[in-house]
Formats: sequence, C-alpha cells, structure tokens
Amino acid sequence: MNRRTFLTQCSATFAGAAFAPLLGQPAETEPDVKLEIAPLALEIAPRKTVHTVAYNGRVPGPLIRWPEGKPIVIEVMNRTEIPEIVHWHGLWIPSEVDGSAEEGSPMIPPGARLRYSFTPRPAGFRWYHTHIAAGHDLKRATYSGEFGCLYIEPRNEPCAYDQEIFLALHDWNAYMGASGDSSMEVAYEYSTINDRMLGFGDPVRVREGERVLFRILNASASMIHWLALAGHEMTVVAMDGNPVPTPTTVKAIRLGPAERIDAIVAMNQPGAWILGETREQFRKMGMGVAVEYANQQSKARWVEPPEALWDYRLFATTQNESREPDEVIPLRFESKFHGQGAFDSWTINGKSYPDADTISLRAGKRYRLQMTNHSTDDHPIHLHRHTFEVKKLAGSALSGLSKDVVVIPANATTDVDFTANNPGATLFHCHNQTHMDFGFMTLFRYS
Amino acid sequence: MYSSETMTPQTLLVELHSNFTTEGSTTTQFGLLPTEHQEHETIELTEGINDWSEIGFYIFTAEKSGNGVQWVGDHIRPRFRIPPRWHWPVGVSLSTEFGYARAAFSNPTWSWQIMPIVDQNIGRWYWSVNGTMVWDVHVVPPPADSTPQQKQFYYTNVAPRGVTFGPAATLTYAPSKLFNFGIEYYSYYGQWGNFVPLHYQQQQVFPVVNLFVSPKWEINFGAGWGATAGTDHLIVKCVIGRYFDWSHHRPGSSESSQ
Repeated sequence: MNRRTFLTQCSATFAGAAFAPLLGQPAETEPDVKLEIAPLALEIAPRKTVHTVAYNGRVPGPLIRWPEGKPIVIEVMNRTEIPEIVHWHGLWIPSEVDGSAEEGSPMIPPGARLRYSFTPRPAGFRWYHTHIAAGHDLKRATYSGEFGCLYIEPRNEPCAYDQEIFLALHDWNAYMGASGDSSMEVAYEYSTINDRMLGFGDPVRVREGERVLFRILNASASMIHWLALAGHEMTVVAMDGNPVPTPTTVKAIRLGPAERIDAIVAMNQPGAWILGETREQFRKMGMGVAVEYANQQSKARWVEPPEALWDYRLFATTQNESREPDEVIPLRFESKFHGQGAFDSWTINGKSYPDADTISLRAGKRYRLQMTNHSTDDHPIHLHRHTFEVKKLAGSALSGLSKDVVVIPANATTDVDFTANNPGATLFHCHNQTHMDFGFMTLFRYS
Repeated sequence: MYSSETMTPQTLLVELHSNFTTEGSTTTQFGLLPTEHQEHETIELTEGINDWSEIGFYIFTAEKSGNGVQWVGDHIRPRFRIPPRWHWPVGVSLSTEFGYARAAFSNPTWSWQIMPIVDQNIGRWYWSVNGTMVWDVHVVPPPADSTPQQKQFYYTNVAPRGVTFGPAATLTYAPSKLFNFGIEYYSYYGQWGNFVPLHYQQQQVFPVVNLFVSPKWEINFGAGWGATAGTDHLIVKCVIGRYFDWSHHRPGSSESSQ
C-alpha cells in the first residue's frame, strides 16, 4: 500500500465525519475564515499560465492573521474532484484538526465542506497547505497552489518594524528530471514569489529609512532556495516563526521546503533592486520580485552577492538552557534505488510508510531525535504539532534554535530535542513531497 | 555512446578513453597504419553551458610498439538537447562534431559529424540510439597508380565521399545506483544511400559495465567483438571520468548560495 492508497482509504473512512462540524462548533455559526479549494488558471507572466488548484482563487491563499489563544473556526469547501485536507503547519493543535490523514484528521470529500476549529498557538509565522499525496501526478499536493500564510499574532511583537511583507516562494510545472546520483528528482519549469515571475508582478514598495520585515515562506514542494536582496543585507530575527536567540545579519538566506524566515532589512540604498534567488537559473525561471524605493522607478538591478554558506549555528547560542532528553530515538534515513527512470523510495529505520513502525512516546518526556541521513540528498525534516530545538548539526552542538522544519545535510547526523507535550498521533516526515509520498514518514503516538 | 542529457552548468567532465585493439588489421591499408595492438588514448573534456547545451573537446592520441605516442587529431563537439521541461516522452539531443585527424590514422582527415540522439529511462532499463552521420570534408585520395576499379572500390568501401552513416545503440540495466551493465553496438554502414556490402561494414558489439563509484567518478569498461571482415575483431575499452564542479560545493548540496 502506498501513501495515495492509504489516503484514499482514509477518505472513505472519514467521509461521514467530514460533513460533521468539529469540536462542537455548530454548523450554522458563521466561520471566522472561509477557504474554497478549486481549480485555478494562474497567469504568472504574460502568456505563461499554470493550471493548478488554489485557495479562494488566488496564490498564495488569503493571509490569515489571528491572535494567539483566541479560538478560530475555518470552513473549507472542496470544489475539486479528489479528497482534500488542509494542514495547519507549525501549530500545537490536536491531531484531529491538524490536517493530516495519517494522524487521523478527516479528509474533505469532493464537493463537501469541513470546519476546522482550534485555538491557535504558538504565536509566530505559520502556514497552511494541502497534505494530500501526489505520487507521480506532479500537479497535485504541494506542487499545486494550495498554500497560504498564517500569522498568529503575539501579544507583543518581538521586534520593531515599519512595514511587514509576506512572500511565498513556489516552483511550478514539475517534471521528473535527472539528479546527481543516478536517481530521478523533481525539476521545475517556472518559479514565482507570490503569484508572479520576476519582472511581471507589482514591486514591493518601500521608503528610504524604513525597517521592512520580510516574512518569507518556501512553499516549494521540493526545492531548497536561496534568496538575497541586491544591495542590502538581511537580519534574520525568526525562523519557522520562532524568534532566534542570536539575530544575525547575512547577505543571503536559505529556506528548505516549508521553512520560514523573518528578516529585517534596513532600507538604506535608494533605487530599484531585485529580491531574488541567488542562483541565476532560478531567477531566469522567475524566482524574484522587484523592491522599489519611493520615487525611484527604474529597472530593478541585481548585484551578485558573494558566495554564502548556510549555517544554522549563526542564529543559535552555545548556552544550553534546555533540559537533557530522557530518551534518544535513533532515526536512520535511506533510499532504495528503483532505476534511473524511477523515483527512489525512502525508509526510516529500514521501513517505508505506511509499513513503518509507530514510535510510542510518553507524555511529558523529552526526546532526542538522532537523525542520520544515509543519502546524498539534503532533507527538510518536519515534525507535526510540536516545536523542536536543534541540538547538533553535523557534529557541532548548538542550542536555542526552535523550529518545526530543519534541513538535514546529506551523509550527516543531526539531533533535535522536543518535549512530548501535545498528546496524539504526530507525523514526522521529509517535507519534500516526492520523498514523503514514497515512504519518508513515520508516526509518533502518545496519550 | 551518448545520452541525451547534457552536462550540468558549471561542471567539467574530464574523461580518458582507452581503446586497445587486440585483433585488428596487420598491414598498412591505403595509407592507414595497422590497427592490431594499437592503443588509443583520447582525452575528452565536456563543459556544461546551460540546461540544454554543452561543449566538448577531444585530444586523440595513438600508441603502437615501435611508433611511440603520436598525436592523432582534435575535434570540437557542441551538443544541444530538448530541455527536459518540454516534457518529451524520450530524451532527444543533437551533437555536432568537427575536427581533424592525421591521415595515418583516419580517412577522412577533416570531418563534420552530426549525431541525433534519442534515449529513455524505463525503470531500471535504459536505451539510447545514436545515429552518426559524418560528412567527409577532406578524403585522402587513393594511391596515384590505382586502377579505375581500385579507385571505385576505394571511394565506395574505404573512404566514401559525401555523408556516411553509422548508427550506435545501447541497452543497459541498473541493479543499483552504483553500477549498470548492458550492451553497446557500434557500426559503420558507409555512404548514405549507398551502403557498402556487409562484408566491408563495421559491426561491433560490446558487453559493458558502467560503475558510478562516487558522485565525482564514473568508469565504463567493455570488450567488443567485430562481426565482419571490415571490423577490428577484438577491442578492449575503458573510460574513466572525473567531474569537476566549479561551484565548489558538494554535488546535490544546498549549503552554498552559488
């Protein structure tokens, strides 16, 4: 049984539940937010239209801002022909509403509507996206336009800024391409920031002297992206919505699929500049947006930044203030070759999902996930419904960096710690859509 | 054999092709040195330009007991492919190669080659067909004292004028990421539209093994049997390739912004 079969069966299992309101919310009450999943022909540049599925007829979906701790009801209508589900990425919410069939959240059958009701926390930059399987259909799931930004407002903003800009990176028209190690990997035809290719969207308009807070999401199904704002530096203040212990100024930032970065930019170089992928081939595919100062209308310029190497430790601390783990869980990631014309399948501790063994946890205990990546790929690893602390990267210790996605380098070991404080089924997977569809998932469970 | 895939931009592949003719011609024929026990060493440099083109350069050498190492010639080879984003069901590429080789080793001396390439991966299987067409830009004339019949034989079977054709193909199976094995077929049919008799055609089949011992290295090894009188009867070949990534980061890594 592969993941698509599994999800189809989940859909049948939960079809009845999907029509029922969740967590006691009366169906006749007006929801706080309405989302409609429907096909969309999205013009990303003149004469370049991608045929996709999106929320409320736009990409990204509507920005949802909501105060931390205030209950919210979100009604989702599925106007597609396949079962759907919406995952609320980065929130500490119950399994039943997390939006993952593997955890027990109900699917939304075609033509049906479902209400998600929960109390969102923690505060910070979260996002929402479809959590269905794509398999070999590279237009479905996170290859599509089904994503949007979700900002859970804290009582007090941790940093001061003059303007806040949400940007979502995405890659379009996926196809199977060659990779560096004989197997097939997904490649793309176009890239966008929000809904437009570089050169074809409205610029981000700023004023000299402003401190602009960019909240940037990598909503790509599989690509790790680098971004730089020509002529400027970026001060990273939060990762995955969580303030970093050491805000650090860098020339370029890297985001794996599903990672988010909040970065402050001091607008002190009047002109028109490109905020874009540092690698030319991705800018040519469209990944970029113009940033234009007031009264500085001109063709946006790109200035090649010096080579940067990404190191999470720049934003962490060496002071270990968290408690030691009660238990270490070793997790070994490997791929299985199925030919140069096929996707690899993936295993965690030798087994592919859904055949992988569920890992039992005990509430209140602190666990260390000791992840060894025995592959030649970097993997964006995501833990649902929890936040973890990155403790070791390729042999170097660090502390204080709280995330829900971390990119594990190839052929290296990475340790993250988390406390089992949100009982229920908890999905753990690679956020590369192909990898998760072909087995790179497992479940934790505790009550 | 070529696949339709082109070299990754910012990557240089340096290959050493070694061919040793165990059983070949033993006499000088129409000015061409005997091939038996001739060792050919060819250095091939291939640089990726973008996701649909590359440029290659060859340095041909030959070694034979008593003659030492000799420079044979050089070719330059631009190659283009249908970008994979066009979603064609098969890979399609067009290679064009132009260059010179000394008359003692090759006839024609100046040649221009056009080679369409079609290939496909199907699970663990891979096939590729290379249709080699060579325009003999400069052919060494036959000996001056040749009779008209000898000249006709020469221009028909030895050094045809115009465009010649020689398809090649391969079929491999990959049990793992680390190696595949299969067969390669090479041929020379003669002048396009006027193929030489089978007796004079070149027909070779090589059982081959391709090793991918690391992302930076690849090794091809094969032994080929010639099936016709016009073919060297036994050739042993080995290709060792090393990738140099000018972006200075490990293959497949996301750690660098370049």
